[in-house]
Amino acid sequence: MAQVKQPADKSHFILPDLGEGVHEAELIKWRVSAGDRVAEHQTLAEMETDKALVEVPSPWAGVVTELCGAEGDIINVGAVLVRYGEAETAGETAITPEPTQTTEAESPANEEREDAGTVVGSVNNDGAAPSALTRRRTEATEAPAEQARALATPAVRGIAKQLGVDINRVLGTGRGGRVTASDVERFAQHGATGEASSHQANTRVTVADIPEHSNPAAAPAVVGESTLPPVPVDPSGTTEVIPFRGVRRKIAEALDRSVKTAVHFTVVDEADITDLDRKRKEYSAITGRKLSFLPFVIRAVAHGLREHPALNAVVDEAKSEIHRKGNLNLGIAVDSDAGLMVPVLRNAEKLAIVEAAEGVARLAAGCRDRSIPREELTGSSFTISNVGSYGGRFATPVINHPEVAILAVGRGYEKVLAKDGRIYAGLSLPMSLSCDHRVVDGAEGARFLNTVKRLLEDPNALLG
Amino acid sequence: MPITTAYETRIDHVSILDEHGAFDESLGQGLIPEDQLPAIMEHLVFCRQLDETAFKLQRSGRMGTYPQNTGQEMPSLAAALAIDKADWLVTCYRENTGLFWHGLPPECILLHWMGDERGNHIPAGVNATPIAIPIGTQMLHAAGLAWAEKAKKTGAIAVTFFGDGATSEGDFHEAANFAASLKLPVVFCCQNNGWAISVPSSVQSAGETFAQRGISYGMPCVRADGNDLFAMTKVMKDAVARARAGEGPTFIEAVTYRLRDHTTADDARRYRDAGELETWEARDPLPRLQRWMEAKGLWDKSQHEKAMKSGEERVAEIISNAEGIAAPDRSEFFDHMYADLPESLKRQRDSKRTTSLGQFPEDLA
Repeated sequence: MAQVKQPADKSHFILPDLGEGVHEAELIKWRVSAGDRVAEHQTLAEMETDKALVEVPSPWAGVVTELCGAEGDIINVGAVLVRYGEAETAGETAITPEPTQTTEAESPANEEREDAGTVVGSVNNDGAAPSALTRRRTEATEAPAEQARALATPAVRGIAKQLGVDINRVLGTGRGGRVTASDVERFAQHGATGEASSHQANTRVTVADIPEHSNPAAAPAVVGESTLPPVPVDPSGTTEVIPFRGVRRKIAEALDRSVKTAVHFTVVDEADITDLDRKRKEYSAITGRKLSFLPFVIRAVAHGLREHPALNAVVDEAKSEIHRKGNLNLGIAVDSDAGLMVPVLRNAEKLAIVEAAEGVARLAAGCRDRSIPREELTGSSFTISNVGSYGGRFATPVINHPEVAILAVGRGYEKVLAKDGRIYAGLSLPMSLSCDHRVVDGAEGARFLNTVKRLLEDPNALLG
Repeated sequence: MPITTAYETRIDHVSILDEHGAFDESLGQGLIPEDQLPAIMEHLVFCRQLDETAFKLQRSGRMGTYPQNTGQEMPSLAAALAIDKADWLVTCYRENTGLFWHGLPPECILLHWMGDERGNHIPAGVNATPIAIPIGTQMLHAAGLAWAEKAKKTGAIAVTFFGDGATSEGDFHEAANFAASLKLPVVFCCQNNGWAISVPSSVQSAGETFAQRGISYGMPCVRADGNDLFAMTKVMKDAVARARAGEGPTFIEAVTYRLRDHTTADDARRYRDAGELETWEARDPLPRLQRWMEAKGLWDKSQHEKAMKSGEERVAEIISNAEGIAAPDRSEFFDHMYADLPESLKRQRDSKRTTSLGQFPEDLA
């Protein structure tokens, strides 16, 4: 990616691409403190990219006045990492983290500065355009002129120059936050009506200020973090503080995204698997492999999705498209030491019962010893969570975004059942199906669950 | 006798100054004039400083990417010592010591990795090619250059450098075959640094040595301690002499080690054993030469400190030169592809607009 442009006045250091094509890095450890005088090439911080743990040196000598981020934060390339100032004011700034170089820095502007650089999930110029479906009316920071150089082609810069627009003040709506020719023209028009000057005064614009765009893919970049103020936590009684990062953080981000994007509803039912249990034992005896119900459920789900293809789909938020899938790349929720992982069983509809069982076992083992390649963790279009193996009957599973449905299978349990006016002791399998109501209606979800139930209750139909 | 020996060979391994400080007088005596050694040591100190500083430049966003040379200083320097000004150095990207000794301004290397194409503009009079990033292409260039020099009967030769991984490329085999079959004045020097990014040399080839890869083309092959300036200088001088005498190419395997990451985009700790690194750090070519020179009275601590200080100043000056170069004019985009610029591109140049962005330069006219 392009090298970032550091400010000529050396007032702050923008995090560069630490490798090749690196977009963000986790701040592992500060090696300097606010107020420290640093030499050129002196290490400022240790940071971890997706490829490497690296030491980030200072590009010049100076006095560090502000560390823009806490250990554990994900910092985007292009965000301010540290600020520098004069030696004599450094002592003050070490106590009160007030930027020394600006006089108009009343507190909202300060917050804005911090937001712009350090928050997990915040979208700077490299951020992906958010979905038209999920775009929240949160505030987007307008890149302050002295802080970041706008991404734009030379041609667009030329237009800005002609129109007398400072391109660094224009919020880009193009790919990766690039400023387009129409952004510049729109900005110039708003300037004429006096709106731009109010933007300049508080150096931020809100999404509400930006005219709707006919193409959702070109929707403006939005700060991903909620604007709700954090609730203070009382540390008394805390016995352990665990940094919220790493795999746990990735899981949290994925779930957060799902819940904030998909409109969840859950439908539950139970299948009488008394006969299936007999079949399962037969299969186990024949194959010499102890089989759980999971491969049978996989088979039933594969059949069910063939009849109800609306549930075997993913949503492309950026393009506002629903992609129905022909084959079943099935996500299998796996509990590992590091947390939840969802490896993908490819073409699950083609697998025999034993193949499915072996496939799941292989993927689970790969997750648990962390040997699973990255490509086996992406590309699923429906997910099964076998919560029953840990206990519990029903659940309200969270959809594995951008899929549209997930089935949680509870623990099969012995139960008094009734059929044709006769009472008997049978085995019952609880199932909970969550769907994205934006894509799947309640009736469709219930029909799918019915199909799965019918197949599980009739092993000959399932296995025939 | 139905079975006879069709071919038999042997690969020599040359070592003169070993990692324990032992020096083979019979081979090493007079190989490098003693009065030249302090200048060589100063050069090495400077190159190592530049290398370590370049790494930091990348980390602070002042350079796009950078492959460190540290640990592999000797093979290319030995080549530069063994060849004449008119000879060609056709390198990969871990040959800074040789390139600088041969006359390439260090600013060129920095500019190249800063993403400025002008870094590849080799000054007239320096017979070196731009550093080759695609693996192995330069070996063909070396064969071609050597062929041209042979045709022109200039007596000049070419020395090319590549890694152990590059010997698995088709380009290597084509270049080696042409060079050997046509008896071209080339020296092929393989810097076997143990790793092709994350692929260890043990996986790269099932052969005992990389040197033997040259055998099938019919060229003499030799292996040398790549961290030993004297051993490298000896095998280079022999190979250069053969090339100069019209006897064709030689294949040299320099056994060395990449002490740093592959590039700044790599983290070798993820795939490399810490113990292996430690073993090779003990074989670091610079301290080895320094200790020997100190023992011989050719170098002392104060000289070293002086070299460190002047090296540091020179590095700062070179960085300042490279970073201070004026940005090219935007219209230069258009200057180097066409002798006669087509009308459509002229419009783009003049209007600074392009139809590919949905802008129509004609509209501005």
